[in-house]
Amino acid sequence: MNAALDPEIAASPLAVHGLTVSYGRKPAVYSVDFVTPPGSMTAIIGPNGAGKSTLLKAALGITRRLSGDVRVFGKPYAEQSRHVAYVPQRSSVDWDFPATVLDVVMMGLYRDLRWWQLTRRRHRDQAMQSLSRVGMEAFAERQIGQLSGGQQQRVFLARALVQDAELMILDEPFAGVDAATEKAIVEVLKSLKARGKTLLCVHHDLATVRDYFDHVLLINVRRVAAGPVHQAFTSAALQEAYGGRLSDVQLARIICPAAHLTQRA
Amino acid sequence: MLTTWLEPWGRALLFGAGYNTSLVTLGAMVLGASAGMIGSFILLRKRSLVSDAVSHATLPGLTLAFILMATLWGDGRWLPGLLIGAAASAAFGLWAVQTIRDRTRLGEDAAIGAILSTLFGFGVVLITAIQSMNVGGQAGLTGYLVGATAGMLASEAALITACALLLLVAVFVMRRAFLLVCFDADYATTRGLNARHIDLIMLMLLLAVVVIGLKVTGLILIVALTIIPPVTGRFWTDRPLRMVAIAALCGALAGYLGVTLSSVRSGLPTGPLIVLAAFLLFAVSLLFSPRRGIVATLAAHQRFKRRVHLRQGLLALARDDAIYDDLTLRVLRRHDYIRRDGVATPLGASAARDAEHEERLWALYRNCYPDEAAQLDHQGLVPINSALPPDTVITLESDLQRIPRSVQ
Repeated sequence: MNAALDPEIAASPLAVHGLTVSYGRKPAVYSVDFVTPPGSMTAIIGPNGAGKSTLLKAALGITRRLSGDVRVFGKPYAEQSRHVAYVPQRSSVDWDFPATVLDVVMMGLYRDLRWWQLTRRRHRDQAMQSLSRVGMEAFAERQIGQLSGGQQQRVFLARALVQDAELMILDEPFAGVDAATEKAIVEVLKSLKARGKTLLCVHHDLATVRDYFDHVLLINVRRVAAGPVHQAFTSAALQEAYGGRLSDVQLARIICPAAHLTQRA
Repeated sequence: MLTTWLEPWGRALLFGAGYNTSLVTLGAMVLGASAGMIGSFILLRKRSLVSDAVSHATLPGLTLAFILMATLWGDGRWLPGLLIGAAASAAFGLWAVQTIRDRTRLGEDAAIGAILSTLFGFGVVLITAIQSMNVGGQAGLTGYLVGATAGMLASEAALITACALLLLVAVFVMRRAFLLVCFDADYATTRGLNARHIDLIMLMLLLAVVVIGLKVTGLILIVALTIIPPVTGRFWTDRPLRMVAIAALCGALAGYLGVTLSSVRSGLPTGPLIVLAAFLLFAVSLLFSPRRGIVATLAAHQRFKRRVHLRQGLLALARDDAIYDDLTLRVLRRHDYIRRDGVATPLGASAARDAEHEERLWALYRNCYPDEAAQLDHQGLVPINSALPPDTVITLESDLQRIPRSVQ
């Protein structure tokens, strides 16, 4: 496959081909192919230990990959990192770090600031603007350790927003956050999609996949299924990805939430 | 007695104790500043112990360079040569620590312990060997263990100052990259930074500071200059670059006080005095820093206690309960919420209603989001508007209105 010539790959904000990552001898992700459709909102789904986060980290160059090719708009990631904004898991940093909310969001402006520049009002305003988009502008001067889990997640989202990137990659943004924060984050993500941005998101709550996303990638070390939600998010694919761990009742509720509700009514 | 000490010290403090002493003082200040700056990033990267390994690993290189120069020229005291030797063996020590950490199952701390003691032991053996050699200037070597600035040449002091100044600029240039990697190396990688390279640069700058500081503080104590000022800085601020700046200031101040004090009497070691000065600044911060100092913490606890009593008192007023606790009564009276006889004033009655409303919002929040509420450490004592994002508060308010009061 010549990545530079394939128009689908050249247009895709993130295309991975034959990606394999291994910790020791045991592959965590094995030969996964996936082309993210531009402008889509894609959920990466799979059971615990399926390699969802690892797939993203390898695509971003954080984890070293054993083999495979990663392209951002048809070019290697290293040349295109300005197009990608990453929202890591909350647990990945030490929240006792001496930084205020504003400091963390300003880190998103790293590429706009040369070493001789001091932070200007313009940069501050940019950061405050993205803080207000996640409802956190009143917390700008707060030390990050004083925030609750949901608030920390909002701050990470604000840091990614300030980059104004074409592709946003989120690692379990809804893990351990309150319902209000989940709603706030989903609204921000949907507004990004409406502006033509692409979103790729590791997601663990199967019940909300249909409400939040339009594409899915199901993996369990290997790729199980991928495509638009109505085609790829089927009970057969889920059974395969989760290895038969889901009961029929659970499946019915996940695949047809509307039918389930009418049944109960 | 006291005046014989104070008078020359005062002269040194005002840079009036001769050209040499002034130059050395300036050098120690710049060195202290750069050590404080790079040390802050190393501390934030949680690798403070690495500076210990680096400093101890300089000894074999230092002594080998001395032996080499002594056999070639009969005198091994040439400072640049000694520093190059020290840098080479420190780099080797650093490489060994990294290799052990990456290639084996040992952690960095274990690797540091093994390498540090081995290289230092080797260096001590070499020093003993030098003492049995018949060359000049061997007494000067012990100066590198605890620091000796008294006999320093002006050219040496100038070299140290220039190098330290260069390092200061280098850390300043790299500050944002360092910060990004210290806070979140994974995120830094996604922004196109090579975290491994940045880490390496950080360690190289640390190594350079340690090597340059050898003559001033000595290799055993230079580590104090890379750890104590950053920790001191942490007491005074919650902002990263401000902490680095305060650490630089503390380092410079420690260098200033230490060198001037040691110039008072010949034979006073510079390194220990610099470290003691750094510790003094640390101790003052530990006690009196307004954010995390011991005094401030005690005062904050008292304020917190009063706030709890005030809230409990107001809730008791709202429920028309009797209040018996003395402190609660005093706090309420001070706010003019109750009269001398314990009856609520109009002001108190309205405050009580507000408190009850807040309490109900918080209770609803705890009910709706138990996990989230458990993470908040103030348990509903702060005004809800300042603790939660506005959209959450609005949702709570409207939910509260929908629920009939009797159910709550």
